[in-house]
Amino acid sequence: MRGIVEIIRLIRDGAMENRLFFLLLAGFAFFPLYTGMADLPFWEDVAMRIMLLGMAAMGLNLVLGYGGMVSFGHAAFLGVGAYCVGISQSFGLMNGWVHLLISIGVCGGLGLVIGYLALRTSGIYFIMITLAFAQMLFFLFVSLEMFGGDDGMSIDRAEFLPFDLYEPLRLYFLIWAMLVLVSVALMLVVRSRFGVTLRAIRNNASRVEAMGLEPLGFRMTGYVISAVICGLAGALFASWQEYVSPDIMHWSRSGELMIIIVLGGLGTLAGPLLGAIVFLLLEEFLPEFLYLVAPAYAENWMIIFGPLLIAVVLFGRGGLMGMVGKLRAGRRDGDGS
Amino acid sequence: MTLFLEQLFNGLQAGVTLFLIAAGLTLILGIMDFVFLAHGSQVMVGAYAGAAITSWTGNFYLGLVLAIPVTFASGYLIEYLLIRHLYRRDHMEQVLATFGLILFFNELVRIGFGPAALFSDLPPSLGHFVEILPDTPYPVFRLVVIGVGLACALGIHLFVSRTKTGAMVRAGANNPEMTAALGVNITLLFRMIFAAGAAFAGLAGTLLGPLTSVEPGMGEPLLILSLVVIIIGGIGSVRGAFIAAIIIGIVDTLGRIFLPMLLRQILDGSAADGAGPALASMLVYILMAVVLVFRPQGLFPPRG
Repeated sequence: MRGIVEIIRLIRDGAMENRLFFLLLAGFAFFPLYTGMADLPFWEDVAMRIMLLGMAAMGLNLVLGYGGMVSFGHAAFLGVGAYCVGISQSFGLMNGWVHLLISIGVCGGLGLVIGYLALRTSGIYFIMITLAFAQMLFFLFVSLEMFGGDDGMSIDRAEFLPFDLYEPLRLYFLIWAMLVLVSVALMLVVRSRFGVTLRAIRNNASRVEAMGLEPLGFRMTGYVISAVICGLAGALFASWQEYVSPDIMHWSRSGELMIIIVLGGLGTLAGPLLGAIVFLLLEEFLPEFLYLVAPAYAENWMIIFGPLLIAVVLFGRGGLMGMVGKLRAGRRDGDGS
Repeated sequence: MTLFLEQLFNGLQAGVTLFLIAAGLTLILGIMDFVFLAHGSQVMVGAYAGAAITSWTGNFYLGLVLAIPVTFASGYLIEYLLIRHLYRRDHMEQVLATFGLILFFNELVRIGFGPAALFSDLPPSLGHFVEILPDTPYPVFRLVVIGVGLACALGIHLFVSRTKTGAMVRAGANNPEMTAALGVNITLLFRMIFAAGAAFAGLAGTLLGPLTSVEPGMGEPLLILSLVVIIIGGIGSVRGAFIAAIIIGIVDTLGRIFLPMLLRQILDGSAADGAGPALASMLVYILMAVVLVFRPQGLFPPRG
């Protein structure tokens, strides 16, 4: 109940960032109305991918943006969440709700173990040990022949009783509802005493320690929550793709999630979602753009995307959310004069 | 026994190649505190340069020798154009920018040479076998790789521990600000380390060319392995990187061959067939995790 009051207050008089966030979520709710009328089922698919990657990025953002822990292996949780669905199905378990619960539980436990071991280190060592654990899991699934190995395994669209996911748009709204759920949960977590402490630890861990709080516990909790969110996104990803392979947890995917967050704005609520929109639109439109300019190289859109990414790192501090903030600040200055 | 010896040599060869890649990287990480993910791209550049020059000139040795200045130049250019602007940024921004560099290099190579793998043939003088022990033939080229790798390792060690520039390098690793204050041109030092690191990585790539397929993205698995090497060895320690590289090379090679065999002795057939390769490919990462749990700074952290 307090949560609902809090949310209403956030929408009413929260920062502009929060309003933008709710606007985005509402936009995704009404998007199928447009694609339905214009008959663009492909863009519904793109929107689902945006929501799924955005959800995973929001999970990672809790440790990366709010906690200041550069985890370079979060794609592993995405992959394990997806494999939880595939593996339970291969044992005849078809209930989608149960799949989600299994994914959440397994990723939470895994996050606890990896977090406990990785958080003993810091700095470059932390980046590398999270990468190492992700590689370990990647190679584990590559060589598990009974679950498809390299080739991956196909997945049936699970039963989410009482909903029939074969009905058009049901999966879309399931993903949307989960995204809203995760968003609201993260919003409350970030504003809670825990979230404030996590940010304080990011800014100055020894000062927090001097106040009598143990940073490790907070970091661990944050790490586990973010692992669970990535696992949930992975489980939904499996249902959406109806297929899972080790590709989903390749180390470059962890990089992609980081790109999405930095593109959108580190340590902001709307940033990861905004970043996912821009990232996937670039992925769709850069090849088309190249096709117009240099048709022979339409496939090689990464040659533009790579330098673009470097430019964002060099010049785009604060990402898109930072730009939104600057625009707003500029307007306020204009009003004042 | 023959098989074991053969694989031990293969592991040694993998180890010294890893050291060639890791040596530059450990200095870049240790001295400049820079997370340079595109170091694997230097390996790829070296491999492509070697393969391309070999096929244009028809001379393998020429490809081997000329690939070194090419990668040196590419390292110098990357540092000058991009990396020096990123030293003061935080680790995550360095990760992302150099990740962008990887995407760029892979695509550049794909446009220039096509997506298919290149194969370079060994010249007849290097393509045969010698008996390292009675009844144990071993390819000459792999011995050459081991020899070149060990010679480079010795050279790097002597350079770092015996020369004045090497002393600057070590001082820079301990305290860059103080070193700069003492009048060392740290900008030039950084750039030279970068370029030299790229050249050694490129040499590793050229040497690996005839042993593996030369293709876009070939550097990334090597990059991740050499990161493991550096973490286990201790960031900034060349000696640690050498020992860790040899350990990783041998553990990885022997693990892939003998772990599945060993498991087949203990477990029943199907379980062993499933678990063996999985465990073998995870082995080095398990090793790294264990090392970090007990020694978070690696096995041989540089004194300072």
